[in-house]
Amino acid sequence: MTEDDSHRTDGSGELEGAARKRSKRFETLDERAVTEDGFVNEWPEVGFVAMESPNDPEPSVTVEDGTIVEMDGKDRAEFDFLDRFIADYALNVEKAEEAVAVDSVSFARDLVDINVPRDEIVELSTAMTPAKLCEVVNQLDTAEIIMAMKKMRTRKNPGNQCHVTSVEDNVAQIAADAAEAALRGFYEAENTVGVARMAPLTALAQQIGAQCGRGGVITQCAVEEATELELGMRGMTGYAETVSVYGTEDVFKDGDDTPWSKAFLASGYASRGLKMRYTSGAGAELNMGQAEGKSMLYLESRCVLVTKGCGVQGLQNGGISCIAIPTSVPGGVKEVAAENLITMLADLEVASGNDQTFTHSDKRRTARMMPQFLAGTDFIFSGYSAVPNYDNMFAGSTFDSSDFDEYNVMQRDLQVEGGTNPVDEETVIEHRERAVRALQVVFDELGFPPITEEEVEAAIYADGSKDMPDRSIADDIQAAEEMMDENVTGADVVRILAKNGFDDIAENLLGMLKGRVAGDYIQTSAVFEGDGDFDVVSAVNNPNDYQGPGTGHRLEGEEWEKKKELRFATDPEDI
Amino acid sequence: MAQAQQQKRSLKLTEKGVAEEGTDTDEVVISISAGFNEMKDETLAGEKHADVLREMMAGLEEEGVTARVVRFYDNLDLGVIGLEGAKLSGSGISIGIQTRGTTLIHQEDLVPLNNLELFPQAPLIDLETFRAIGKNAALYAKGDTPEPVPVANDPMARPKYQALAALWHIKEMQHKDESKEPTEMEVSFE
Repeated sequence: MTEDDSHRTDGSGELEGAARKRSKRFETLDERAVTEDGFVNEWPEVGFVAMESPNDPEPSVTVEDGTIVEMDGKDRAEFDFLDRFIADYALNVEKAEEAVAVDSVSFARDLVDINVPRDEIVELSTAMTPAKLCEVVNQLDTAEIIMAMKKMRTRKNPGNQCHVTSVEDNVAQIAADAAEAALRGFYEAENTVGVARMAPLTALAQQIGAQCGRGGVITQCAVEEATELELGMRGMTGYAETVSVYGTEDVFKDGDDTPWSKAFLASGYASRGLKMRYTSGAGAELNMGQAEGKSMLYLESRCVLVTKGCGVQGLQNGGISCIAIPTSVPGGVKEVAAENLITMLADLEVASGNDQTFTHSDKRRTARMMPQFLAGTDFIFSGYSAVPNYDNMFAGSTFDSSDFDEYNVMQRDLQVEGGTNPVDEETVIEHRERAVRALQVVFDELGFPPITEEEVEAAIYADGSKDMPDRSIADDIQAAEEMMDENVTGADVVRILAKNGFDDIAENLLGMLKGRVAGDYIQTSAVFEGDGDFDVVSAVNNPNDYQGPGTGHRLEGEEWEKKKELRFATDPEDI
Repeated sequence: MAQAQQQKRSLKLTEKGVAEEGTDTDEVVISISAGFNEMKDETLAGEKHADVLREMMAGLEEEGVTARVVRFYDNLDLGVIGLEGAKLSGSGISIGIQTRGTTLIHQEDLVPLNNLELFPQAPLIDLETFRAIGKNAALYAKGDTPEPVPVANDPMARPKYQALAALWHIKEMQHKDESKEPTEMEVSFE
């Protein structure tokens, strides 16, 4: 700043000049990863605030002749299209006036009161307006949010989802990683691509890999909507979650969308037996500068209710791709847990974030997932990166494949179900080999560019795409186009696998296709048990009945024994 | 190091009146957003707007294409100002840039969200890239199909910059004036 860089003091103990003498303590602190993160002070006027903006409306509702004519301080004539959609389709109108009249503090206490069963809460919470849901959740501190989530999660057993991607879109690597991820216990696996036109092949590779282990891992390929739906209809994937909804009308309009158009898209999936959930999350509206001065939690509560109104069974939220916006302001990490809770209060499945980088600090990324981890959610991560973060095509997750052991140890330390299990190296290698061999056969039979022995070998032992030999993306893209043109379906893949001695994978893949016909796994919070029997576990047949100690899902018995198996623990008998 | 005199170039943008549709097929419009060089004089990457503009113009000029700079007050959406700029451009090609540095190359017959090249991670765009963007825009203007300028990707860009980028965007919205037409700007470097 100044030309003069000599040290100078004025005797008052304060330093002047360019080279201010620094505290070594503060110099050390300045080196810490957390100082690299972006933090912003609150600015409520534009909505740069996690919870409780002065511009958030007071809860209110008036019903006349079965229609909501006033909600959260606005008359029906002033409703924007989100208000109108929520009022007409999301709320239980019969109970709305009663639900809004309930004292928010007393209802918040009910959320953490083990003597009040979940069903009783849901009866009123599904009739609450966006502002009312916020007012209730605003009463809770973080520990209470965790307690409330534990009771309000729809499905009894918590679970986890992973990302399986490759920066090179390498199909052999994707098949092997999907097989390993399945073995590690994820209920769902999500792929996306570096090059859009590769999607049919990466989806196919992930599907084969995912069915080679336990059987029943549901897969997704997040790409452009029409392609994504077609891949699902072909049986290359089993679910979708990247249909986004927003908390203000302006952001919806920017994407040429309305709640009605989103509902139409959702029905496209549901009518074909494909599981689907929406995506939203704090910060998206601010990112567009269109937050209307409202808090992130209030806008998110509107997203949750739009989802509910669309009849969609679940929602992925908790910041998601804009996570570094809520986490930049005070209370932001609490807010993302609060939005997960509001989703549960709407009686929806929640895939609770923890899926995108937001910090340089290992401690912060661990602390951020504690509410979802300790409470247990339908999918604690939506997705945990089952590949190294450099291969993660969702721009990096909070936890990746290098954290597998640490994440298992946290479950072992705290006796908490985190949705993954310890595995041994030999079994992983076996499964990876089986997956990539199966893919090799399918590629061969379909006349796609061969997967060489060198690639098979590399994929079995790879950590990431850096360990894979080069493969021509141009040739693979051509094969992907052929695959779409020639209408290759999941049934064709089943036939090829069965014919070539991969009966188990063929059975599992057939199980997935049958699952779509039966349609049971499109129920709220549904997953397949993952034992090859294709029994659906959902909020319908396995509802969360937590009511304090001795109830609900508890990590014990066989499941707990599995968590204890740490591969580098000392066995006392060995000494 | 402390004594090293860094060459400082400052940018002066003067309004010349409502921007007209160009007829010169050898021109590319650079669409700048409402707050460019007003709200801030540098991008999120810390590159001075003076240098950014100069590099893009140099990239165009070395391919024999001239640059026109048009400021958009009525819209901050990069897709929109890029596309509107392309419609004003004699070649049908434009470069759009926001104050924070998010940049794209657009073409008049596309839709706002579908562009020729997009550089979404503003904090990662350096001067060399801005020059390459200018050069590619010039090549598109001449009817070529150049190899796209490589896009940088850093998983830690979100943790560091996402909140700041949102903040800048919101600040820039205060410079928006929906009643004001796209305006031709005279560029001088001092």
